Amino acid sequence: MSTLKIDLSVADVMMPIKDAPVAPGTAILKEILELMGKFRLGVVCITDRSGHLEGVFTDGDVRRLLLKEQKPFAALFNDDISVHITRKCTTITPESKLTEAVNIMGDKRIWDLPVVRTDGVLVGLLHLHPAVKTLLGLGKQVG
Amino acid sequence: MLTKTITIGYGAVRQVKIGGDQPLAFIGGPCAIENRDHALKMASQIAAICDKLKVPWIYKSCYDKDCRSSPDSFHGLGVDEGLKILEEVRKEFGIPVSSDFSAADWAQATGEVCDLVQVPAYLCRQTNILRAAARTQRPVHLKKGQFMSPWNMKNSVRKIEYWGGQQILLTDRGTFFGYNMQVNDFRCFPIMMETGYPVCMDVSHSIQLPTSMGNASGGQREFIPYLARAAAACGINALFCEVHDDPANALSDGNTVMDIKYLERVLAQSKAFHELRLELLKQWGEDRVHLEN
Repeated sequence: MSTLKIDLSVADVMMPIKDAPVAPGTAILKEILELMGKFRLGVVCITDRSGHLEGVFTDGDVRRLLLKEQKPFAALFNDDISVHITRKCTTITPESKLTEAVNIMGDKRIWDLPVVRTDGVLVGLLHLHPAVKTLLGLGKQVG
Repeated sequence: MLTKTITIGYGAVRQVKIGGDQPLAFIGGPCAIENRDHALKMASQIAAICDKLKVPWIYKSCYDKDCRSSPDSFHGLGVDEGLKILEEVRKEFGIPVSSDFSAADWAQATGEVCDLVQVPAYLCRQTNILRAAARTQRPVHLKKGQFMSPWNMKNSVRKIEYWGGQQILLTDRGTFFGYNMQVNDFRCFPIMMETGYPVCMDVSHSIQLPTSMGNASGGQREFIPYLARAAAACGINALFCEVHDDPANALSDGNTVMDIKYLERVLAQSKAFHELRLELLKQWGEDRVHLEN
């Protein structure tokens, strides 16, 4: 029987930025959807040139966008993603406890948390599945 | 919406600012440079009208017309002779000049003389042409192809930016509507403005009936005043119109070029609508009427 790894921090489990879906705000929607498919994640983090997190674009944003926007797909696909991102998104710091991160994701019913330093720079992405598996001692620690 | 402002004119000429809350600018001249004397004569007549109306303007006339319907059509004076005449017009009147270029090899020479280098509509997505335009380091006048959606013009803008271009003017000159016919979709102005760059209405090519005359294009120039006023009210930053003192004998685009005797009335009304548009923008703000999240 595994034991809970309650002392772990977010930095112990998060995907480092090189392995996470990250794009600039000038990427177009079509590229972002391709990125989501490539990483098999429902989120892409959008950063500025110095790596500061500008916002996220998620599966939920895709659903809301499709119901809201009436313009042709050809036009929508070509939109800069910066127009459609969620700027006020929930984030976590790398030093935070993993348990706290999982609690936040549960409360907000979200699957991913961008990991952001106090200066606003994105350093990784925490996905719910590895976080829970690691907490339960079932998964391999990454990061 | 207010776009960024671009500045046309290097050296000693009177600079023309296009975009933001700047006055409506005019870009025009005979479609093709026919000869030196005619070019100077047309420039003189346009200057008189624009000075009277206080409209900043750019003289546009091309040295090579590569998209003619027939091999027998007038093709132009060529790069060397054409640019020499444009240079003379530029010096004589102290105004910026512009020509398009249809071959990437001509871009550098064009940019050495012209204050604004124009990318022909048919070539608006050709990477070699866009790269050459950007590398002139002059402002680029990018016409929306008749086959292009306005949102896809962003791709061409990005190409110009990729090679260092930072001053771009986007122009609508009509969109194909079946064969030998085109229409103006005025939604293209706010859509192209989303790139951040100013927009222009090419009102003489918009009324063209492409190759409707067998081996030449026709046109319904009776619609020019309507389209010009509508575009100014819509929020364009510049108006483009080819003019000629003898359209019936013009060597290029005789069926679409507007008789210069009508320029003052078209320009004055377009200017009035543009000024009203700016006033309304101040009073009511940006046109944001879509649903909030």
